[in-house]
Parts: sequence; C-alpha cells; structure tokens
Amino acid sequence: MKTPLIIAAVLAVLAGLPPFLDLGLQNALVNVLIASLFALAFNLLVGQAGLLSFGHAAYFGVGAFATLHLMRVVEDGLGFPTPLLPLAGALTGLVVGAIAGFFATMRSGVYFALVTLAIAELFHALAPRWQGLFGGEAGLSSMRMPWQGITFGSTLEVYYLALGWVVLSICLLWAYTRTPFGRLTLALRDNEQRVRFLGYDAHATKVIVFAISAMFSGIAGSLQAMSNEVANYSLFSSHVSAEVVLYAFVGGSTVFFGPLLGAAIFTLFAYLISDLTRSWLLYQGLIFVLVMLYAPTGIGGVVQYHARHWPRLDWSRLTGPYALGGLGGVLVAGAAVFLTETLSVLFDEPYAVARRDAGGGYPPFEAFGTAWDPLSVLTWLVPVALFAAGLFVLARARRTIAEEWDAIRSDPAAEAAGDAAGEATR
Amino acid sequence: MEFIIISTLNGVIYGLLLFMVSAGLTLIFGMMGILNFAHASFYMLGAYVGYTLSALVDFWVGLIVAPLLVGAVGILVERYMLRRVHSFGHAHELLLTFGLALIFEELIKLFFGDFPVNYRMPEELHFAAFTVFGTDYPFYRLFIGVVAVIMFVALFVLLARTRIGIVVRAAERLPKMAESLGHNIPLVFMGVFGVGAALAGLAGAVAGAYFPTNPNMALELGVIVFVVVVVGGLGSLKGSLVASLMIGLFSSFSIGLDWSLASLLSLIGLGDWAESVGGLLTMTISSISGTIPFLLMLIVLLVRPAGLMGDRN
Repeated sequence: MKTPLIIAAVLAVLAGLPPFLDLGLQNALVNVLIASLFALAFNLLVGQAGLLSFGHAAYFGVGAFATLHLMRVVEDGLGFPTPLLPLAGALTGLVVGAIAGFFATMRSGVYFALVTLAIAELFHALAPRWQGLFGGEAGLSSMRMPWQGITFGSTLEVYYLALGWVVLSICLLWAYTRTPFGRLTLALRDNEQRVRFLGYDAHATKVIVFAISAMFSGIAGSLQAMSNEVANYSLFSSHVSAEVVLYAFVGGSTVFFGPLLGAAIFTLFAYLISDLTRSWLLYQGLIFVLVMLYAPTGIGGVVQYHARHWPRLDWSRLTGPYALGGLGGVLVAGAAVFLTETLSVLFDEPYAVARRDAGGGYPPFEAFGTAWDPLSVLTWLVPVALFAAGLFVLARARRTIAEEWDAIRSDPAAEAAGDAAGEATR
Repeated sequence: MEFIIISTLNGVIYGLLLFMVSAGLTLIFGMMGILNFAHASFYMLGAYVGYTLSALVDFWVGLIVAPLLVGAVGILVERYMLRRVHSFGHAHELLLTFGLALIFEELIKLFFGDFPVNYRMPEELHFAAFTVFGTDYPFYRLFIGVVAVIMFVALFVLLARTRIGIVVRAAERLPKMAESLGHNIPLVFMGVFGVGAALAGLAGAVAGAYFPTNPNMALELGVIVFVVVVVGGLGSLKGSLVASLMIGLFSSFSIGLDWSLASLLSLIGLGDWAESVGGLLTMTISSISGTIPFLLMLIVLLVRPAGLMGDRN
C-alpha cells in the first residue's frame, strides 16, 4: 500500500518545513491544522453516523472558552502544564456534547439539523450577554504561560504544539473507525432499524458518537484559543458552523481524509488570495455549490473512485480528455473571476468617487494590472469569450471522459477487481 | 397600558411579516420535503430589487417587479439545481440551498457593499395612521400588515377554492397518485417553489423599506423563520400563521420586560441569593430576548416535533 508512505511524507513536510517559512505562512498553517481537526471531528458525525449538524460552532466555541478560563487561572499561578491546556477543551466539549447530543439525537434528518442549529444559536445569542462566562461582547483574553523552559511565545512553538495535538487526535479518530463501536456507527448510518433489531441501543450509541465528535471539536477550539489568546461570542456564529460544513463536503464526507483535504485547501487558499480579492467567500460558495451539483462525493470521493479502479485505468487514453477538462475548467473559472473582480471594482466606493470626479461619466478602471474601459464591448467580450470557449471545451471533454469510463465500468473483470480493491481500502 | 397596546400592535405586524416569509418555506417543505436554507435569501433579494427599482424608477414598480423577478430566480433554482441533486437525497438538497444562501449573501455584498442601503418608503405612505398615548403610529407598519393579510387570504382561496389548489394539495399528499392521474408533478413543484420565492420577495420589497436592508438580513431573519415553521408545524400554513403571530408578540413584549429569574426567585425569598450568584439568574428578559425563539424551537422539536398544527413527524 502506498497510503502509509504518503502519510509519512506529509508528516515529514509538516514537521520539517515551517521553520523556513515566514510568520504569516506559519500562522496560516496553524489555522490549517485547527480547521483540519475541526472538519474531521465534524465528519465523524456526518460522514460516519449520517447525522448532519448545522451547529458545530457550539462545541468549537465552548472548547475555546474553557481553555481561556484555564489559561487565566494558569496566569494567576496555577501550575498546569501549558501543552496540556487542550484537555480543558476536550473535557468541556465532551460534557456539553453529551448533553446537547442527548437531546439532538432524539430526532433524525432535518429535525436533527434544526436542533443542532437552535443549540448553536442559543449560545450565540446568550454569550454576548453573559459577562462572567463568556466575557460579554468583548470576550475573554489571556496569555500563554511558559512551561519547562518553553516560552510558547513564538508562532513556531504554537505550531508544533498544534501539530502534536492534531496528529494525536487524528490518530485517535482513525483508530475509532477501526473499533467495533466505530463499525456500529457506520451501521447506524446505513440502517438504523436493523441496528436496533440486533439489540443495540441506537440512541445511546448516537449520543456517544455526538459527544466524541464534540470532544474533538472542543480540542480544535482549544487550539484556536491558545493560538489567538482571545475568544469572543463570534466563535458561536453560524459562519463557523457553515465553514466546517463546506470543508467536509467539498473535501468529501464519505472518505476519512476528505474533510482534511477540504479544510487544508480552503484555509490555505483563503490565506494566499485574501490580499488579492475581497470576494473569497463568494468563490468559496460557488465551489461548494458546483461540487454539490457535479461531484456530490467531493474531492476525496473522486480521488477514491479513481483509486478503486486504478488497475484498469488506461492513462494514455485518459490523460488527454482530463487535460482538456482541466483547460475548460480554467477558462470558465477565468471568466467567473474576471466578472467578479471587475464588478467588485465597478460597484465599489472608490469607483463612485472616480465617476463623480469625471463628471458622471464612466472612466476606465484598473483590474488585473491594466486599465479597462467599462463602456467598451471589448471589455465584456473577455468574460463572454472565456466562458463560451470553456463551456465548449468542457462539454467535449465530458463526452470523451464519459465514454472512457463507460468502457472501464462495463468490463466485468474490472468491476470485480475494483470492488475487491474498494473493499480493501475501506 | 401604553406598553401593552404598542407592543401588541408591533408584535402582530412583525408576526404578519414573518408569516409572509415563512408561508413559502412551509409550503415548499410540506410538498417537496426540502428545508430551503436559501428562502430568507429570497426575502433579501426582494428587498434589494425593491431598493434598486425605487431608486431608478418608482417604489410601486419595485413592489410589483420584485416578487416576479425573485419568483423567476426561484424557478431557475428549482429547475436547474434542486432537480439535479434530487437523486442524491435530501441531505444534498439541504446542502445545495445552504450553499446558495452563502452565494446570494456574497453577491449582495459584491453589488451593494457590506453595509445597510437607504431603502425608504415613498412619501405618500409616510404619515401617521393614528396617535396612541401621544406617539404617532406609522401608517407604513399597518401597510405591511395589510399586504400580509391580503396575501394570506389570496393564498388560502387559491389552495382551498380553485382547481389549481386541488392539484397542488393532491401533489402534496400523494405525488405518485396525482402523477398517474395525468398531472405534471414536476411542473407543480416548480410552480410552488417559484410562488414561495415570490412571496418571500414581496415580503422583502415591502418590509425592506421599513426595517434595515443589509446583507445580514437574510441570516438574521432566516433562523427566526425556521423557528416559525418548526413551531407551527412543518408544512402547515395555518400553523405557521399562528406561530408567526406568537413569535412576533413574544419578541415585541420581551424587549420591554426587565424581569429576570432573580426577580422571580425573590417572590419566594431567594432574591438576595440569586443576586449573589449572578450569571443567568440576573439576566433580564429584555437582554436575552434573542434566545427566546430558539428555546421555543428546541422545546417544540423535543416535545412535539410535528409542531402546533402539523400532522406528521
């Protein structure tokens, strides 16, 4: 198997590279680690147990606040080792998760989603008013205290602390899926009624899964609190719950490492292009909807599908259509980016000022390093041409790819081999 | 007395506004089983279309065009997106509408900026309807209520008294049977989705001129509308009317009450103890009024998930 090799390589890069990176990137990597853990914890619930939660910010948030409370006590002289602070987040997440989970898992489907949403909204509405527990609207802040000669003052030290906790948590989450209880969780997703007929207590099982998911979310929140040294009620906002849903489903909720992939890609991208555009959230939403429409199993699902059919894939025939599809994707994306960025310039305040200065006309505007005339047909021909060409190329590529895959799938020997490989990788 | 009358008026009108938005949501859920996260976005779109047209042309033009345009957007969403992911299951439909809500919010920010816009009611509607206890009561609030009532009556007549209504109700109850009898069910679904979106758009165009119109309005109203449809019973129009009024009254009354658990406990002599504990016990109802709808929703979901008037779980 190649998988252990890949994991070892990724770990080696994560452990060895950061000292050579600049501070901003180190910080971004801390956020990647935290988001990855949060997404995997969330996915334990949605991917393994089939329970779609829209309020996971609640457990992330309580983990963060619990850690800050402990940090403040440590600041006042309690001799608690700094590297073990996330235990506070884990414990709080577990307890709050068990209580919330007990109620939420009494319902299923849409009703479950609504209960989790309501619980998170309760926290969000209550936190800014509750001075003692959540520090009111300003929130809580504290400092990381040194421990055993380690100051925890630099981002790099925080990074390695986060790396340790995240790798440990991911190992535990992975081990969980291998236990009999982990298999029971999968059974719960696939056929709850049968699980009950087999004599298991479905509700108790769900509560435990929920609590474990909340516990690891709490650790993620804890690491966030340690990294930022502040937390306020915005941690409970629906944006936080939404982000983790996006990570999990774009990455692929049916594959164990899928959510990690989604979290890493989105968090890194957000950092890398946040200086270039203000429309990152729009792109993020567009990517999510496109994945939902055209690749419902997410990136991880697509990768897994290829891995399963790997022995029968004839790359000399597939590379061409895939490259063509990639080109089409780039063209369409180019059209979307051009349109979004020009619109964001044209509808922004500075351009309105420029128009006033120009006496109400439409002066040329600056985008992508050159000046464009908003009244020229040529300007708007750029996105239209890109879009049309991209769609044309995509349609062609899609046809050939579909033909190739039909051939692969219709081969009975391939199907048998693929299934066997699929079983082995599960 | 003054507090009671003003709060009742405000509460009823806020409730009617909630009903305008939740009517479409509950119809769509009852029929298609989709909890549409993007529904409040249709409300926001309506408000912004109304704002744009009232600035360019006229308020009344905006009021007519907004529902039509938003309804068309709803039809496109149903026809080309929801129908596509239908085979992947309900969770994917939910996630798709969730993603659309994010996109709508960002698009609004892209075009109009991340701040409230100045959407105002026309001058001819800007007067006091009557005076209670020395304060003028704005006519526009009554206007919002009247639009909602007209809408409810029209919807009720359409569903209960016309042929279209019979087909829609049949499609809701037994879609397979209605289809075998020769009715075009996908078309009915598309129509219901479009009408639901249009109603939300109308509500946005009407209410946006009085309440703030900003990119957060969908998010803020969206959760409350979920509360309404859950409390009323998912799929029940009458239930959502009752729940809307209830939530409206709750929120307008709770803003003015400075009772807390401590004042309740002081009735049995535990007031000083509660004051010393602080935290939750000394928070006044007015300061945590935002939490009441969610508490209500939680209780209903856990005790009676079918809601006040829903007939299924």
